[in-house]
Amino acid sequence: MNEVNPKTRLLNVLNKRTTDRPPVICMGGMMNASIVEIMNSTGFTLPAAHDNPDLMASLAGAIQEQTGFENLGVPFCMTVEAELLGSRIDKGTLACEPKITKEAFCSVGAVIYRDIDEMIESGRIRTVTAATTKLAVTHQHLPVVVSMTGPISTAASIIDPMSFYKELRKNPASAHRVLDYVTELLIRFAEKSVKAGASVIAIGDPSATGEILGPLMFKEYAVRYLNVLTEAVHGFGTPVILHICGDINKVRSLIPELQADAISTDAMVNLAKLKEDYPSVTTMGNLSTYSLQWGSPHSIAAQTSKLVGDGIDIISPACGLSTSTTLANIRAMTRTVQGE
Amino acid sequence: MSDNKEQIFFTALSDAVLDMDETTVEEVAHKVIKEKFDAYRAIENGLVDGMNRAGQLFEDEEYFIPEILLCSDAMYAGLNILNPYINRQQQSARKKVVIGVVEGDTHDIGKNLVKTLLDAAGFDVIDLGRDLPPCQIVDAAIAEQADVIALSTLMTTTMDAMASVIKILQESGYRDSVKVIVGGGPLSQSFADRIGADGYAPSAPSAVKLLHKLFQDTIHA
Repeated sequence: MNEVNPKTRLLNVLNKRTTDRPPVICMGGMMNASIVEIMNSTGFTLPAAHDNPDLMASLAGAIQEQTGFENLGVPFCMTVEAELLGSRIDKGTLACEPKITKEAFCSVGAVIYRDIDEMIESGRIRTVTAATTKLAVTHQHLPVVVSMTGPISTAASIIDPMSFYKELRKNPASAHRVLDYVTELLIRFAEKSVKAGASVIAIGDPSATGEILGPLMFKEYAVRYLNVLTEAVHGFGTPVILHICGDINKVRSLIPELQADAISTDAMVNLAKLKEDYPSVTTMGNLSTYSLQWGSPHSIAAQTSKLVGDGIDIISPACGLSTSTTLANIRAMTRTVQGE
Repeated sequence: MSDNKEQIFFTALSDAVLDMDETTVEEVAHKVIKEKFDAYRAIENGLVDGMNRAGQLFEDEEYFIPEILLCSDAMYAGLNILNPYINRQQQSARKKVVIGVVEGDTHDIGKNLVKTLLDAAGFDVIDLGRDLPPCQIVDAAIAEQADVIALSTLMTTTMDAMASVIKILQESGYRDSVKVIVGGGPLSQSFADRIGADGYAPSAPSAVKLLHKLFQDTIHA
């Protein structure tokens, strides 16, 4: 039998080629699988791994090896970009992910525009890039997925979100200027990641949901800047996975306008139906992280089988995993897809 | 005649809140004071009515977060002007809610929406902020003699902190004196049941309905 390697399999799916079976992945970033159980058994721990490229690569490697996910995913948070842009970050603990403690600016008008060439060579973008370089060399048969925070979520992490959401409506000219700036930084981050060996760029944009923005602003801001970013990454010859949080019902008809090569969604979205309605969309997801945390391996295997049976193109968790999720439960998911 | 004129002002306040028009709300609120109309009724029949209509549009998915936040700004602009003129007796017997985002999470949009709609619904809401240790939430609820603790989180990783709040309440003997309601993106009714909360609300408007139900509509009765 000719075994397809996981990198080829994922790239084939993203390029709309047929494969032997769906890949099972966990993209990293907001949806990383750095569970306490793995960190404790390996000694590769957070929060130290957020800042140390060797540790970041070792933890990503250990997660892949122990969970069976068919990719390496870095980083393990969604604060890399916001920190670089000036927000204050709490790096969290072993069990709790980093968070923004204070946004850098109070309004879109107050944003100080810095030189992107300088920023791109500093902060934790360097950490992520170095970890990516290492992983791409040590794991050539596996895709390295670099996860980035989407434009709206990055903007809402550097500007007080209460002001930001209001100003999307009240002050669109300044809001667009901020999003242009943030998107440019993300494009350069993606470019560095691709040069370092990333096979796929994943974007999570939890602050840009249809539920928050409504269809008009989702189109004006989310679709627009996500597509600018996606098309730039395509220019580097690299596919893009986009995760959209929450219920996509209100913005469903806009999904085919997104240029990303796969759309990942939350657990409440019926992916089989999405696929049926929009056959051009490559679907990814969406095993409930609630089930992954609280369910039994048996029920997780059954839910995973259902997703595979429904023809979902890439199997993955539907949202961020709780750090107390057990390895046994994650393995129930990956092994089901792998037919073990 | 005067009732009619009064109602025109109240309707103007309600419409301006719904239209996210802070400037008009302020203008009309000043006129209400100048004309010596009842400030309490202007709040109830004007500002709160407008916010309730906005809440309904939010529920109907015609308004979204940006719109509801702007309506809320307009309502508070009017409240700032009218509140000093209301008779204290008119605002007694309101149920007290302490609200906050649990430790580990700094997302507070949802919490702020719930606060606004509870304010508009006549609850006395004390906002504890975000990223709160469970002990601090319980201490505040006891100190304020709160009737309700409303907890929010947007992150799966911080859900356990909600269970801690209930556990601390139980251990300190205060569980029966306060109702605990939870909400936020990753939560569900089954999660609320699992941790022993009194209720779960999937959206900001439903949080208001939930509390009305828990207190059997005694708030405005």
